[in-house]
Amino acid sequence: MKLTHRSLAIDTLSGELKLWLSAAAGRRFGLLSSLDGNQLIILLLDPGPGMAELWESPVHNNSYKSLTLRFPQLHWFERILWDLFGIVPRQHPRLKPIVVHEQYPPDFFPLRGRQFLPGDERVERAPVNYMEVHGTGVWELPVGPIHAGIIEPGHFRFSCFGETILNLELYLGYVHRGVEKRMTEVPWQKARFVAESAGTDTAAAHALAHAIAIESLFEVEIPAAAQALRTVALEIERVAMHIADIAGIMTDIGLVGMAAAMAKLRGTALNTGQLITGSRFLRSYVLPGGVASIPTAAQAAQVKVSMDELRKQLKPLLSMLQNNYAALARMEGIGTVKRSLAMEFGLVGIAARGSGVNYDTRSHFAHGLYPQEAPLIATEAGGDILARTQVRIEELWSSLDIIKKLISTGADAAVAHISLPEQLPANAQTAGIVESFRGELIHLCVTGEDGRIKRYVIKDASFNNWTAIPIAVRNNLIADFPLCNKSLSLSYSGNDL
Amino acid sequence: MLKLFTHLITQKRATIAQICPPLPETARGLPAITTQPCSGSECNACAQLCPTDAIAINDEKNESGSAKVALDLGACIGCGLCFQNCPTGTIAETLSTRNATKRREDLILTNDKALNGDKALNSDKASKNDNAAPKESQSTVPTAPTPNPFDRSLYVRVVSTGCSACDLELGASGNPIFDIERFGVHIVASPRYADALLVTGPVGKSMQPALLSCYKAMAEPRVVVAVGTCAISGGVHRGGYAQANGVDSILPVDVYIPGCPPDPWQIIYGALLGMGREGLCQPEKEIVRMHNQTPGLTK
Repeated sequence: MKLTHRSLAIDTLSGELKLWLSAAAGRRFGLLSSLDGNQLIILLLDPGPGMAELWESPVHNNSYKSLTLRFPQLHWFERILWDLFGIVPRQHPRLKPIVVHEQYPPDFFPLRGRQFLPGDERVERAPVNYMEVHGTGVWELPVGPIHAGIIEPGHFRFSCFGETILNLELYLGYVHRGVEKRMTEVPWQKARFVAESAGTDTAAAHALAHAIAIESLFEVEIPAAAQALRTVALEIERVAMHIADIAGIMTDIGLVGMAAAMAKLRGTALNTGQLITGSRFLRSYVLPGGVASIPTAAQAAQVKVSMDELRKQLKPLLSMLQNNYAALARMEGIGTVKRSLAMEFGLVGIAARGSGVNYDTRSHFAHGLYPQEAPLIATEAGGDILARTQVRIEELWSSLDIIKKLISTGADAAVAHISLPEQLPANAQTAGIVESFRGELIHLCVTGEDGRIKRYVIKDASFNNWTAIPIAVRNNLIADFPLCNKSLSLSYSGNDL
Repeated sequence: MLKLFTHLITQKRATIAQICPPLPETARGLPAITTQPCSGSECNACAQLCPTDAIAINDEKNESGSAKVALDLGACIGCGLCFQNCPTGTIAETLSTRNATKRREDLILTNDKALNGDKALNSDKASKNDNAAPKESQSTVPTAPTPNPFDRSLYVRVVSTGCSACDLELGASGNPIFDIERFGVHIVASPRYADALLVTGPVGKSMQPALLSCYKAMAEPRVVVAVGTCAISGGVHRGGYAQANGVDSILPVDVYIPGCPPDPWQIIYGALLGMGREGLCQPEKEIVRMHNQTPGLTK
């Protein structure tokens, strides 16, 4: 979508933000970042009318008073702002690196566009420090960056009393690859492949958010069939990954038979994706202008059969999980995130809806055939592992319905995609907001004088939701950590970029 | 519990019996170079479209009169643009799942014999490996002693440094459909008792010390497998400030498995290659699709 642009002075920023956010229900922060280290940019979302604004505020002497003090959900954004640009948010309560580690030189800030000047406030990078808990019997458990199973890397530092977790400190960034910088280095026609690789388990959602951001620059109309197929791709991804996440929970509870049966069903979902897109991960399918190809009516019929099959097979398995006392004992009241904290820290996706927050971007922001075809928002009040699992199950059913309904409207159409002009418009700002299976995913694109991408910001759902895991595990057993973790389904690569 | 048991025993066998079969017809395969002559740099469609600059075209003609094409499968992310847009059929699509190699240079597909042996599709893979033997001794890559100590069992430590797609496909290769464990491959939770180090992702700067310490913790003999295009070359991330240029920039690699992500069968083939058990795969007729002609053409 196109963004309304507003410039304001940094000392009025905090007050203006407060005013704007409280002016209508549901208004929230999309992201906070910078273009080149000389200013703050803040994307503000207004889910009611499905609009967004981009605020810009120049930073003087390389620092400003931290906004986290007033808006706790910005704490992670301000840390990464310092990480990437070297801008110092003064009085930030926990300023330490997220993605740029001590392997890099202390004054290296990868996206910073200008040299430091005399008079600039500076904080150099130092090895990360962990908050320590002191007291008799308190001990520390370091885990990672390499984990025991097949999973992305990240470091967790638990402070425990006996088996009970008192505090969890996160240190991520091990899969920092420089995605945002790379987005500005390649020709825009090839940028979609980089966007997908930000997190390939979310390839369809990333590709869609990217496509929307690019298309909004040109203000073009996308063929209806392509819009339907984009929606289908997004939902196939959701089905496959929700199945994977529920299977993960089953594995960690010890229900390996069920988990194996789920793994097989995930195969059905992936093969459906492959049928339409040629890729189990729906890669290179959604592109600026439309989609790569149109399935035939026969393929669409096959997709419908697969969806019916999935529903039939999932039903007994999921009901077994929901009625298994051992499973319920592991999920009920464990890993609780209160609604007030979910709101305060701006959680999104399953983590928010499992805590009773009624926010699903499919109901608010245009992407694919949303919001017209948006399902009812599935929420649960519990805030625990069970609540998040229930939300996943509800969403599985609605996604299967959406796929069945929309696949036929997309099949056998004549035009898969329209071609876009070679040159991007200069000095424009757009965003693509998509509900990935993890939640709100934002791609923000800003072009420069020369019509090239000047700054590209990717905000994965996990960027908001990593904060939830230390909250969820507090006062729970170490043995319940894997379950809490699976139920939040956090992406390392989407966060680290 | 009884319900679950009933459910499980009423399931039909999910496991695919054939080992490393071709990808399904619906899949988009990896590119392959055929003996069809290329018209040279005046076309250049593939090289321009390639998102990772994996294709180089040299107008100098080879002995059959075609411009020389070199395609680095180790940089290929499998987008399919090259073979979909090749007017001469020089670059086609292969559905083979047996793409892993033991040497990095074998991933460079070409119709230029002088550059890299005859790797156009009419050559057969077995003889290529024989020719490779003398070259291998000069390379810095250590080879596992013969006979292969891992031919019946391979304990695998997986280190992820990437975007999790390869990890998910690795996980899938252990599911009931592909069942990598039937070949004696077990995923283990520590490098201390692992035989093989499977690395996914491009190994950015922040992950390099951890990966090295994992490698050092392994007893010899050990093999290192680079799973996926990022692990081989860095893929779309190559050359950036994060120095995410693949595993072999910091460790010797024994097996390279291309793909973005590789299909579970491609991963299994790579594991079998590391065990010296690739002979388990029945001989297959490689299915090659040329997009400028009738699709589904079998060569």
